[in-house]
Amino acid sequence: MSHLVLRQVTKEYGAVRVLHCIDLEVGNGEFVVFVGPSGCGKSTLLRTIAGLERASSGEIRLDDRLVNDVSAADRGLAMVFQSYALYPHMSVRQNLAFGLENSRMPRDEIDRRVTEAAKMLLIEPLLNRKPRQLSGGQRQRVAIGRAIVRRPGIFLLDEPLSNLDAELRVVMRAELAALHKRLSATMIYVTHDQTEAMTLADRIVVLRDGRIEQVGTPLDLYNNPANRFVAGFIGSPRMNFIEAETIPIAGGVGVQVNGKQQRLPHLDLAPGSKIVLGIRPHSATVTEIDQGTIPLELTLVEQLGAETILHGKTDRGEIFTVSAPGQGRFSMGERIGIALPPEDLHVFNAEGQALPRG
Amino acid sequence: MKGLKRLIGGALALALSASVAQAATEVRIMWYSDGNEGEVLQDLVKRFEAQNPDIKVVVDNVAFGIIKDQLPVQLEAGRGPDIVRVVELKSQAKHWLDLRPHLKDAATFEKNFSNTLDWMREDGSNALPGFMTQLTITGPLVNTTLFEQAGVPVPGDKATWDEWAAAAKKVADSQKIPIALAFDRSGHRFMGPAISMGAKVIGPDGKPAVVDEGFKAMAQRIADWHKNGIMPREIWGGVAGTTYKGANEEFVNGQVAVYFSGSWQVAQFSQKIKDNFDWSAGAEPCGPAACTGMPGGAGLVAVKYTKNPKEVARVVEYLASEPVVREFSERTLFLPAHQGVAAKGVDFKSSDPNVKKSLDTFLRATQTADPLALKMQSYRWSGTIYAAVISRLGQVVAGEAQIPDAYARIEDDIKQKVAEASR
Amino acid sequence: MSTITGERGGQASSLSSMLTLPFRFLMGVLNAPMSFLQRRFGIGGMGAVFLAPNMLIFSVFVLIPVAINFAYSLTGGTAIFFDDRHFVGLGQYQTLLTCSDYTTPSTCLQDAFWQSVHNTAFFVIAQVTVLVLVSLGTALVLNREMRARGFWRGVFFFPVLLSPVVVGLIWKWILQRDGLLNAILMDFGFERTLWLAERSWAMFWAIFVSIWAHLGFYALILLAGLQAIPRDLYEAAMMDGTGRMRTFWRITLPLLWPNLLVVIILALIKAVQIFDEAFVLTGGGPGTSTMFITQYIYETGFAHVLRNLGLASAASILMGIVLVGLTALQLGVSNRRARKEAV
Repeated sequence: MSHLVLRQVTKEYGAVRVLHCIDLEVGNGEFVVFVGPSGCGKSTLLRTIAGLERASSGEIRLDDRLVNDVSAADRGLAMVFQSYALYPHMSVRQNLAFGLENSRMPRDEIDRRVTEAAKMLLIEPLLNRKPRQLSGGQRQRVAIGRAIVRRPGIFLLDEPLSNLDAELRVVMRAELAALHKRLSATMIYVTHDQTEAMTLADRIVVLRDGRIEQVGTPLDLYNNPANRFVAGFIGSPRMNFIEAETIPIAGGVGVQVNGKQQRLPHLDLAPGSKIVLGIRPHSATVTEIDQGTIPLELTLVEQLGAETILHGKTDRGEIFTVSAPGQGRFSMGERIGIALPPEDLHVFNAEGQALPRG
Repeated sequence: MKGLKRLIGGALALALSASVAQAATEVRIMWYSDGNEGEVLQDLVKRFEAQNPDIKVVVDNVAFGIIKDQLPVQLEAGRGPDIVRVVELKSQAKHWLDLRPHLKDAATFEKNFSNTLDWMREDGSNALPGFMTQLTITGPLVNTTLFEQAGVPVPGDKATWDEWAAAAKKVADSQKIPIALAFDRSGHRFMGPAISMGAKVIGPDGKPAVVDEGFKAMAQRIADWHKNGIMPREIWGGVAGTTYKGANEEFVNGQVAVYFSGSWQVAQFSQKIKDNFDWSAGAEPCGPAACTGMPGGAGLVAVKYTKNPKEVARVVEYLASEPVVREFSERTLFLPAHQGVAAKGVDFKSSDPNVKKSLDTFLRATQTADPLALKMQSYRWSGTIYAAVISRLGQVVAGEAQIPDAYARIEDDIKQKVAEASR
Repeated sequence: MSTITGERGGQASSLSSMLTLPFRFLMGVLNAPMSFLQRRFGIGGMGAVFLAPNMLIFSVFVLIPVAINFAYSLTGGTAIFFDDRHFVGLGQYQTLLTCSDYTTPSTCLQDAFWQSVHNTAFFVIAQVTVLVLVSLGTALVLNREMRARGFWRGVFFFPVLLSPVVVGLIWKWILQRDGLLNAILMDFGFERTLWLAERSWAMFWAIFVSIWAHLGFYALILLAGLQAIPRDLYEAAMMDGTGRMRTFWRITLPLLWPNLLVVIILALIKAVQIFDEAFVLTGGGPGTSTMFITQYIYETGFAHVLRNLGLASAASILMGIVLVGLTALQLGVSNRRARKEAV
């Protein structure tokens, strides 16, 4: 009982429109991540689903029930806030039990659920402490626990990991994934970190300026980004973009980059059109300077141990990033060659839309 | 350099001493004003200075509160002005200077103020510390226009308190005004009528013996009048302790038929009422023992700690002289304490006929005041008696206490105070 | 030792060095005595050095007069100067505290004192209770998003700026026999009531007027406390399905409690000292029904010609003990809180 449907949902603050005609469906048990740059409206969308904001128009349905006019308290959802929002004057146990007491649940049922959630999140020894006596990670677990005990239809999580340090974030990510599996719960998760999105999501919703740019599984978005924005947002390090113009090549069109010609067989564009080629750093390969398509003068070498990230400048002054496996011997200012495997090339038209490729 | 300094210093000293040698003796008068007395005094003082160039008189016209609160402390410390106008004369008598050896004509001075000198000197003394700047006397102020409209004659010379109360009630009922009879909330105001009803106040041993038949007669009347609406509850019953409350505003607004207050209101009423209605002082209401009000007033006395007693005596004698007192009284509309002036009558300078009539009535009342009333002004425990009476009777009027308890408490309060002061 | 006087001359322009000359001069002049004192007393002792001037003034104008007042309370007589008074030990206190039945002032030797004690006790309990409740309600309303919020906050705070005498006079004019209230009521057909001359009404109005005058101040303190509660706690409570009443009782009130406690104790301390507004409004009447302790002390010590300074001092010392007790309570409460937060 946790199926969410958003139909043409918009949200305005006065004259400013923050969400534009959002259409979305979230199925039972899915882990959906809203991701996008700051100000894209992902938190607003989450809060609108929660009932903390009122949709200006459109429909929000939970299990086919229209809930636009239902208050946040009655929607059967639970939210984990970015700041945790723990009640500072209550103990952890009281924090967890508070929501349940509202529904006049019998005392032993409340205690059972609280203990169960505490065990699940490994915070049993902390039950009698106050929030100010907990570390950041512990507080986060309590916030999650507070949501768990309510057994909501959908968990809403608003950037829950952004206040944790990097190492803890990685640990908590794994735990959240495990929790999701264990509870088989529907979760909607908001983050600006695309790594979190990639690792946690069943489906990712990429938002920009209040609009959905693309919805899909992580690998879908990685392999087949619908537009240049999604291509540049998903994947780290960022995809490289090369501006080019189509030229006629035997039997079709292609591009000429640095004197080397490349045929683009599935491209349906007239020659002379402006396009943008996209190639991920992990797809490009390092070759000898004369063998590669693009010569690169290295400006930065990042040795990560298992791979080496090379940043360089092309002859045209564009910045290009490539990943080489292992610990290669590279030095600043060295000139290397970059090969562009045609099967990994993404093509975008002048409006940024992805064009079909082979 | 040193020589130049010496020269300048010497020149300064010479100039200073020269000016000092020619400087007049300064005599400071600490004065308060209810109305225009301050200006009148300045005029008189200027004339004195013209006739006496070796004396400079400085008049400090201060608020009454200064004289009430700060002067006593100064006097206790052995300091203070040269001459001061005060109301608390007897209780501070030990601070006054006997001017007798310094006056030019002590005998005449004594004769003119004989009946009020005891008010400002200790019992048994025959000192001449100063004189009363004015006499005041309590008495009824009547809204004659209301009486006329109601067709009720203003009670005459021999009318009793009961008659006065009845007449006031008739007028109030007929004219639909809220207050028939009002008294200032003051023990001093109460005592005149009490004495008229036969109160003896002072016991055979000289200590207060306040609650006797005469006293009770008046106290009971006050309680009854409040109960049946002749007197308004908010004045006597409106504030606590010894807090003073008058009915000036109400009388000026034409809401009171008879206001038992005193002669000091005349100047103020003339100014405020103008010609809205006619008003006048009435004859003192009578009781079986007397038809009296309570005299009072402020006195101008010399302070013992002055450095220039001779000059002070000259100033005081001038201000106490008959022509000066006459002019002072005529312009300030005060009743003179100078018996010579009073006997000849005063031509009060006012265009308001109500003023002249009222002041003449009050002046006559001062001359027929009961000797016991006069004695109260020089009695050590008067203040204590007034305070006890008003706070306890105020409680009765407010419904907080019963009359018999109030009587007991009055006696008790006075006894406690007397004991405290005799420690 | 001249780390203060300028040696950045090379970098500073001549204009700025001219402008800072007086400061540098002052610093140079202060430097010598300050470093001398610091050498003498150490860093820790400098705290005492800086406090010394204030302590001196406080001692002269507060501590010493309090001690003198206490000395006066052990004396009798009507003289003003201490040397002319007689020592009576605890006699004045005995006079004040002699009662056959403490609940009935009329059985007491100093019935006015006990009446004023009862009046003050009643006033304190009633006024503080209503004041705190009304301030809380006002703060809750003012905390909402509404138009012209700043204006409404100003309106409620305005009476706090008025002097107590002005407050008393305004309401006296409204409540007197021919005042505004009677005029309005008579227009509606009601009878004229002498509000300030009825014993029960007088106390009611004394309480009402003093609440009116101070409401804004306490509402402001509570408003600050309300605004310190993070908004997302309320959202979390909403997501937890909490109703409005429960949110108020279990979240708002407990988090506001420290401010509330401060308000209660401040209001208590102020209420015990009630004088100005009440004296101007009712003069302590009718009878003695609105006479409070401060007025009793004033009456006894200053209003009569024969000042009973010993008795008045004793009464003021007794009143002071109550106030010291309340202040100690406040200090204890705030210390406990500070220690708890330090955990």
